[in-house]
Amino acid sequence: MSTSSVSKGCFVFKPSTKKKKHLGLEDHFTGGCEGAQNSGKRYKLCQDLWDQIKTDTESLQDELNRSILDSLLDFTRKCSSTRQHGDWASQMRASEIPTAALVLGVNVPDHDMTFQSLSELLQQLVTPHVASLQAKECGGMKGLRRVLERLMGTTVTVDDDEEEEPEQTSTETHKSMHCSLGILCDWYKSKTRKSSTGTPGKKRSSPVKDELQQPPVVVIFKDLEAFNHRVLQDFILICSRYIERLPLMFIFGIATSPSTIQNMLPHSVSSLLCIELFQSLSCTQHLATVIDKLVLTSHFPFKLNGKVMQVLISIFLYHDFSVRNFIKGVQLALLEHFHSQPLSVLCCKKKEALANVMELSQRDLERIRQLPSFRRYTEKQDAQEKVNLMTDDTHLKVEFLFYDLRKYHKNYYPVLRCLHTLTSSLPRYPLGKQIRELHLICLEKTVWETEEYQSAMKLLRMLAKDELIASIQRCCGTLKPVKSKKMMNALIQMEEILTKIKQLDENAPPVDNSITSPVKSLSQKKTDLFQLQKTLLEMNETRRTKKLSPFETVRNEALELIDGLVKSHLSPPEAQTLYEVCYYTSSATVRRHLNATPRTSIQAALSNPYHYLQTEDGSVSNAAPDICIAYKLHLECGRLINLYDWLEAYATVASAAEGNDPDSDTFGKVDEVKHARFIQAVSELEFLGFIKSTKQKTDHVARLTWGGC
Amino acid sequence: MSKRKVKDAHLPVGECITQLQKILRERLCNQQLPEKPEGVGAQHKHLLELLRRTAVHGESNSVLIVGPRGAGKTMLLKSVLRELLEEKEVQKNLLQVQLNGLLQTDDRIALKEITRQLHLENVVGDKVFGSFAENLAFLLEALKKGDRSSSRPVLFVLDEFDLFAHHKNQTLLYNLFDVSQSAQAPIAVVGLTCRLDVLELLEKRYIERVQTQLSLPQDFPDEKFAKDWNESVKALCEDKSVEEVLLRHFNCSRDFRSLHMFLMLCLSRVTVAKPVVKAADVLEAGRLCFADAKADMLHGLSILELCLIIAMKHLNDVYEGEPFNLQMVHNEFKKFLQRKSNSMYNFEQPVVLKAFEHLQQLELIRPVDGSSAKTQREYQLMRLMLDNSQIMEALQKYPQCPTDVKQWAMSAFG
Amino acid sequence: MIARLQQTGYEEDRLQRVAKLLPCRELQAGTLLSIMGQPQQYSYPSVFIYGHRASGKSHVMHILLKELELPHATVSCVECVSVALLFEQVLLSFFGCDAASLLPRSPSLSDFVRIYRQQCLEMPAKQTRYVVMEKAELLRDMDANLLPAILRLQELVEDNVTVIFLSEIVWDKFRPNTGCFEPLLLHFPDYSKGELQQILSQDKHPSYSAEFYSSYINILLGVFYSVCRDLRELRHLAALNFSKFCEPLAEGKVKESDTHKLWRNIEPHLKKAMQTVYLREVSSLQWEQMQQVEEKETGPLRGLSAHTHVELPYYSKFLLIAAYLASYNPARTDKRFFLKHHGKIKKTNFLKKNEKTSNHLLGPKPFPLDRLLAIFYSVVDSRVAPTASIFSQISSLVTLQLLTQVSHDDQLDAPKYKCAVSMDFICAISRTVNFDIVKYLYDFL
Repeated sequence: MSTSSVSKGCFVFKPSTKKKKHLGLEDHFTGGCEGAQNSGKRYKLCQDLWDQIKTDTESLQDELNRSILDSLLDFTRKCSSTRQHGDWASQMRASEIPTAALVLGVNVPDHDMTFQSLSELLQQLVTPHVASLQAKECGGMKGLRRVLERLMGTTVTVDDDEEEEPEQTSTETHKSMHCSLGILCDWYKSKTRKSSTGTPGKKRSSPVKDELQQPPVVVIFKDLEAFNHRVLQDFILICSRYIERLPLMFIFGIATSPSTIQNMLPHSVSSLLCIELFQSLSCTQHLATVIDKLVLTSHFPFKLNGKVMQVLISIFLYHDFSVRNFIKGVQLALLEHFHSQPLSVLCCKKKEALANVMELSQRDLERIRQLPSFRRYTEKQDAQEKVNLMTDDTHLKVEFLFYDLRKYHKNYYPVLRCLHTLTSSLPRYPLGKQIRELHLICLEKTVWETEEYQSAMKLLRMLAKDELIASIQRCCGTLKPVKSKKMMNALIQMEEILTKIKQLDENAPPVDNSITSPVKSLSQKKTDLFQLQKTLLEMNETRRTKKLSPFETVRNEALELIDGLVKSHLSPPEAQTLYEVCYYTSSATVRRHLNATPRTSIQAALSNPYHYLQTEDGSVSNAAPDICIAYKLHLECGRLINLYDWLEAYATVASAAEGNDPDSDTFGKVDEVKHARFIQAVSELEFLGFIKSTKQKTDHVARLTWGGC
Repeated sequence: MSKRKVKDAHLPVGECITQLQKILRERLCNQQLPEKPEGVGAQHKHLLELLRRTAVHGESNSVLIVGPRGAGKTMLLKSVLRELLEEKEVQKNLLQVQLNGLLQTDDRIALKEITRQLHLENVVGDKVFGSFAENLAFLLEALKKGDRSSSRPVLFVLDEFDLFAHHKNQTLLYNLFDVSQSAQAPIAVVGLTCRLDVLELLEKRYIERVQTQLSLPQDFPDEKFAKDWNESVKALCEDKSVEEVLLRHFNCSRDFRSLHMFLMLCLSRVTVAKPVVKAADVLEAGRLCFADAKADMLHGLSILELCLIIAMKHLNDVYEGEPFNLQMVHNEFKKFLQRKSNSMYNFEQPVVLKAFEHLQQLELIRPVDGSSAKTQREYQLMRLMLDNSQIMEALQKYPQCPTDVKQWAMSAFG
Repeated sequence: MIARLQQTGYEEDRLQRVAKLLPCRELQAGTLLSIMGQPQQYSYPSVFIYGHRASGKSHVMHILLKELELPHATVSCVECVSVALLFEQVLLSFFGCDAASLLPRSPSLSDFVRIYRQQCLEMPAKQTRYVVMEKAELLRDMDANLLPAILRLQELVEDNVTVIFLSEIVWDKFRPNTGCFEPLLLHFPDYSKGELQQILSQDKHPSYSAEFYSSYINILLGVFYSVCRDLRELRHLAALNFSKFCEPLAEGKVKESDTHKLWRNIEPHLKKAMQTVYLREVSSLQWEQMQQVEEKETGPLRGLSAHTHVELPYYSKFLLIAAYLASYNPARTDKRFFLKHHGKIKKTNFLKKNEKTSNHLLGPKPFPLDRLLAIFYSVVDSRVAPTASIFSQISSLVTLQLLTQVSHDDQLDAPKYKCAVSMDFICAISRTVNFDIVKYLYDFL
């Protein structure tokens, strides 16, 4: 029986698009949390927010790909131009096919978008003739035919137009009995002749129109590694026979490393190519930018708390280097938040928030009062105020504390960046190299109480002058654009400090950098922690003994300022009032959805079916499904299970479940029905991989799992 | 010779050469049949008799002509047919069907071909037949149509007969022979097939044949030239060195066609400037024929590839012919490099891999098992397709072969 | 010095042009011509030409047939994925497209021969027709009796046609076991050093004098001839390094005549290029960029092969390491390596006698999935839940060809894998997660 294909299927295919998720979403929202009359509103908010995020990220990604795409475009242009009026070197290589080896990280799904935009750009700017191939669609030399199709119907086929493939091929095969590159050449000749007389509208926009009387024919191999070596070699060999008639050009999409080209192609083939290498920026940088633009900004009201953030990042770093999945995760969190948290109506822009506050229902206000953060706030107030807050709805609405959170965000991020700029250059990175690590620390606990922070401060106290100036200037840079009163002040103070330092080296003789040197040396050579501690200690000694030089005083001043900023602005969000409104907290949900654990869930389902069957009582009664009974029974057995005993046991349990009285003689008898049910259960277990038949004993099966996996 | 040129200026030597080339080439390319087939007189007679019986008296026969490749089976048959067709009634009577095992690869195609050659396409039209037998019967029946009561005799020639025997349950052969046994229609089936044992052809006749093949016919336009030519050929055949070469050639391949190839090479060197076959030409032709192809290929290898081959040789010597993979070979090579510190030769692994690939492409080494896709290339087990003598010979001939490499190759163990 | 080609039946000047176009191949061309004979005469049914890559096989054929305007069809057997294509091309170039269109959907040899004969009756050959088969070795993979049939095409179609096979493989590898029509064998030897010099010197740089370029070629050959005799490769190298060679001239340090200085300038670069000969790492442009980098920090040459570093997710790295250990360690040693306190097992008593050769010579062994996971869990420092993404990482490693799946991919219960990465690669990976892999490798105990 061919269960293999079925089970394979359920491994391979991921749920396709978010479209269907959005379909019935609105009514789902009502179900989300009891008594949610504002579900529609929340749904709308969620949608708007998501669309905004989506557009931003997409533009961001284009930005990130810009450079490499441009270089590729230049490459193609250069090739096509040199082909026409080439210098000596290019004539020497006239017989070689220009090839761009495009290295973009190991996460293949993320590449689709890159190739998409690449082929679009190529078509707009360089050549109408672009075909992109995937390994799975050319197992044989059929690939050749696909190239022809895509070129002759000069559309780069996107991956999801499978349904129109068939008739396309059929027409193709009708038109020419055997499609060979010869045909392509003739087609190309006619095409170019036409275009040279009257340029089609596509090329009018192109800046290089004049030299593109012969636009190159570009073939993109999306995933080189997956291609069949034989096919690829033959294809290249064939193409090279036509190179002087047809300005061909290849682009290899490489996931691992360029040396795969050598592994795939023997010299006889690779010597037909003229390879140039293009390296896209690594996905970790990619992620860093995405986080920077998406998370570390007060632009979006919706926030993730430390745990969720942690989960998403760890999924990225540990499992898949996929930025797309990261964003998906954010989306999921977003949905969940608006879905489950009724107060999320307030999680939006200031104006809307105000409006929504005004029409908050009694019940929602109660919810607000229930919020722990709100409780904490009220505790702090004086008695009268407390009473008002707890009883008077309008009062509550009027002086709503929600804005504090926004203000908090307004200041949080700039200060975070400042702190990062200061600490990121320190030896051994006490507060992390990446800003996201610092961010996580700040989210988790009050940063200034951690000893990492302390050690960082110590190190900072030993900064040499030039370093200090540089970092402070950078801080000013980050603070400038922010327009909130506090930050303004901070900026002003910093500039003052800068000027002070400047004055120092005007009048006072330059300070001896004897004490500052160690840090430099530390930051140069990586010393172990112990070493570091030691040096710090003796520095403290020195500091105690000798009086501070003017520079040091200024430096301390500066650090005081920073410290003050940190203390006032980098307090963890949990401390903020009403942070539940904007912060999504349940990391468990996210993990469950994004990083599923099939085995454990199967385990759970078998040992405790009601967890899924949605019934109240917990333990497996013997009225459970057959497979669960069989499973439970097999847990008691050893490595080899005697099928007959198993059947017996099953029969008793099952008949007990049917409630036949234990005394009746039919009790625990094996009739056909039970037998059949048992067999089915066993075969299901076998399919799930808990048991398998064994050669050692005919009437036994072997257990495959031990304990709870 | 200049004398002769003066004598008959009406037929310049160039013209003669052209004629000569034309005649002999046609002869050697088995286009033009010899007026009398040598050596197979008896068979000729017999076959002719059989076929005439079919053609004239309408009795069925089946013949199998067996002989090694290029022994002149086809030639024999052709000459017989030529003679046969000179007779009037045979001409208007006999129908021919020529089939070739190489072309008619299965019975369906064969049947189509038969129909076509009997010009019965329109008669058959788009009838559908239950079985092959029915179809064939119909065809033969169709031949009967017309004024004559008895149907016309058909001659089936099956070249590469053995291939027909490979067809699925041999329907064609079965039916043909069946028809020929039960005299429903007079047919003759002539099969030509090769037996791979040698034709016992005497060396003396071999030399004779050379002469006869090269000699010009009497009706050559310029008999003077022809005479000279024939004499020169005669003289050639008596030359000792030539004889030697011929015998060598005879010993490695005895069939006529290879001889034809040999003579073709000689003939191709006959030009206006040199209107006779010299002994030198024969020797040269011999050289071309006996060239050891593999040695030639070894000559063109890069030094790295040569070193790899030597390493393989050593591996073969040590592990008496166990298959090896690139890693082992590379190791062996590295050992050699360490022994003498020549920085010039140490290449990166990829480079060596490329060299290895090239050797495989030239099929000087061959993978042991078919499962090449699964294993990495550097671990794929290989066998060397050369023997030591070839390698050594190649090393001797190799231009600018470093002495240390030579010594390494000589040394007993890597 | 060009040896005159001579063959009656062709115009003298044409022959001269041919001779000019075929430097260092006059001899072969001459033999070929003499075998071909005069245009209207018959030629030998099939000729088999073998010789190394870039020894001018197809070039000579092409020039001869083109310049002498002989009717010919050139077919590359790579391109003929089906025999139909082959037939089509031959008919097309002999009799025009209408003849080709006569072929049925999936033509048999007999169809082809039939059509050929028909066409012959209409337009009989005044001159010998030639069919040139490039990469003839691929004919062997096609239909079994295709090759024998084509070998005796002349006889089958009864036309004055000659088939010429071009291949890098010797004829002995072609001969079917039942024997066949033996073609006329012709060998194209590789070019000698002098010949290479002569040929390479022909494509000189326009802005430099011929003798300058030839001196450059002379230096180039002096370095490379011993390791590389492939004309194509040498030409590539020449193009690659010439600009470097000319640099001193451009800077006006030396003049063309001063060969010695030039030699001293170029030599190190050529030596470097030697390391990556045959690899075709980069185009000349990037080569020069790399050379500049060389000047600054003299690291190893970074070509394609140097870019072996691959960024992988954290767990993928450990999966790969586990796979490597699983495929290079014998299964029975796992206990010793991965159990925390495995009693006192010394190497001696679990080292078998027959394992003299190290596994790194024999290559990776296949291993089942569960062994991989077991090793993975004991190798990776933190505790990892067996999540779906772990398994999906395994499959993605397979698609990246860092692992290869040995068992057939519809076998689900116990899939087997092999690790397909090199020692250096895995070492680099394990360094990034500071895991000392050598300690865990059986071969290096």
